Amino acid sequence: MKKTPERIESLAAEYVLGSLKGKARNRFERWMMESGRVRQEVWYWEEKLGQLGDRVLEREPPESVWLAIQHRLWPQQEKRPAPRQAANRIWPAWGMLATAAALVLAVMLVQQPSPEPTLSGAIVQSDVSDPLWLVSESGRDNRLRLRSVAATSAETGKDYELWIVPDKGDPLSLGVIPVGDIFQVELTDEARETLSQSRTLAISLEPRGGSPTGKPTGPILHVTKLYEL
Amino acid sequence: MINTEVEQEELMTLLVAVARSDRQAFQRLYERIAARMFGLCFKLAGQQELAEEALQDAFVQIWHHAGEYHSDRGSPLSWMLTIARYRTLDLMRARTVRRTAGDERLEHLEDPRSGPLDHSLRRAGAEQLTGCLDELSDVQRDSILLSYYRGLTHDELAQALSSPIGTVKSWIRRGLMALKRCLER
Repeated sequence: MKKTPERIESLAAEYVLGSLKGKARNRFERWMMESGRVRQEVWYWEEKLGQLGDRVLEREPPESVWLAIQHRLWPQQEKRPAPRQAANRIWPAWGMLATAAALVLAVMLVQQPSPEPTLSGAIVQSDVSDPLWLVSESGRDNRLRLRSVAATSAETGKDYELWIVPDKGDPLSLGVIPVGDIFQVELTDEARETLSQSRTLAISLEPRGGSPTGKPTGPILHVTKLYEL
Repeated sequence: MINTEVEQEELMTLLVAVARSDRQAFQRLYERIAARMFGLCFKLAGQQELAEEALQDAFVQIWHHAGEYHSDRGSPLSWMLTIARYRTLDLMRARTVRRTAGDERLEHLEDPRSGPLDHSLRRAGAEQLTGCLDELSDVQRDSILLSYYRGLTHDELAQALSSPIGTVKSWIRRGLMALKRCLER
C-alpha cells in the first residue's frame, strides 16, 4: 500500500482512535517506524483526540496496583523488616514500604470442579514452580480456605499472618497461617464484604503468634489478587 | 483536574525526574495521575481487572520510556494517558473480552431516545476540540466518541448504531477528516 498523504492522514487518525485493528494496525505501526512524517501525523491525533480524555471521571485504583508496579520494576529489592514504629502507621504508608519487600506478585486462576467457591487464586513465588498456597473462598459457608502446597516454614520465632487488604483503610487480620496444612477461617460479614470488594490478600511475616498490634508489623511477603470464578 | 499550565509544568518536572530514574518522582507522578488514568482505562475496558492491568502496564512503560517524551507528543498528561489508552485497547483485543461489566452501557446503547452516548461525554467532547465536533453529523460524532471512550470495534459500532459496517467505517473516516479540516482552520 502506498503512503499517500491522504492515506497517512486517515490511517493515523484511525490508529489513534483505535478503530484500525489487526494486520492493518501492525502494518501501520511499521509505517510509523519507517517514517517521521507518519509519526508526526499520529502525534497530531494523539494530542487532539487526547483532549477527549480530559473529562472522564477519575476513579481511584486499588492499592494493589501500585504494589504490583513496584514489584514489577524492582523485584530484586531485599526484604527488610519494617521499623518499629511501623505498627502505628496507617496502611497506605505501610503498603508503600512493604512493597519493596514483596517477593512476588503473581496471580493465577485455579480451576475448581465445584461451582461453590466464588473467589479463587494462588500465592506464588517466581522461583518456585508450584504455588505456595492455593486460596479459595466459598460463598456458601463464608469460609476462606488456604491450602499449603509449596510453602516453607517461616524463620524461627516467626509466623506468617494472612490479611485482607481493603481498597481503603487498614488491613484486616485473618490470623496466623500454618504451613503444610489446610487453613480455614470463617469470614465475618464485614470481612467477606471487604474481600469481595478488594479481592486482595497479603501475607506478612510476624513474631510467633501473630502481630502484637493488630496491624502488620513485619514485611509483606506476598500480595495476591483473587479472581471470581 | 490537571489542565492548568502550572500543573502541566509540574508533571513535566516529574517526568524529567522519572527519566533520570528518580523513584520518588515516579511515586508522586503516580499519586498525581493514577486516578485519572484509571478512570480512562475503566471507562474504556468496562471492567475492573483489565483496567487495573492496563494501568499497571502503562506505569511500567512510563518508567522505562519517560525519556522519550517530547513536546511534539502533546502535553505530558496527554502523552501518558495515550499510553494507558493504547495498552487498554491492546488488552481488550488480545482477550477479546467484551465488556461483561458494561451491561448498563449496552442497554443504554440500545435506547434510541437518549442515543448511544451519555450526555456528559457528548458535551465533554463538544467542549474539547474547540467545538469542531459540533460540525460533524450526529452519526459521525457518535461513532468517533464511541470508539474513543469505549473502544468499540467497527463490528460493535455497526451493531450499536444498527447500520452496515461499511457505512460505519465511512462515518468514522469522513468524520475524522472533517474534524481535522475544522481544527486546522
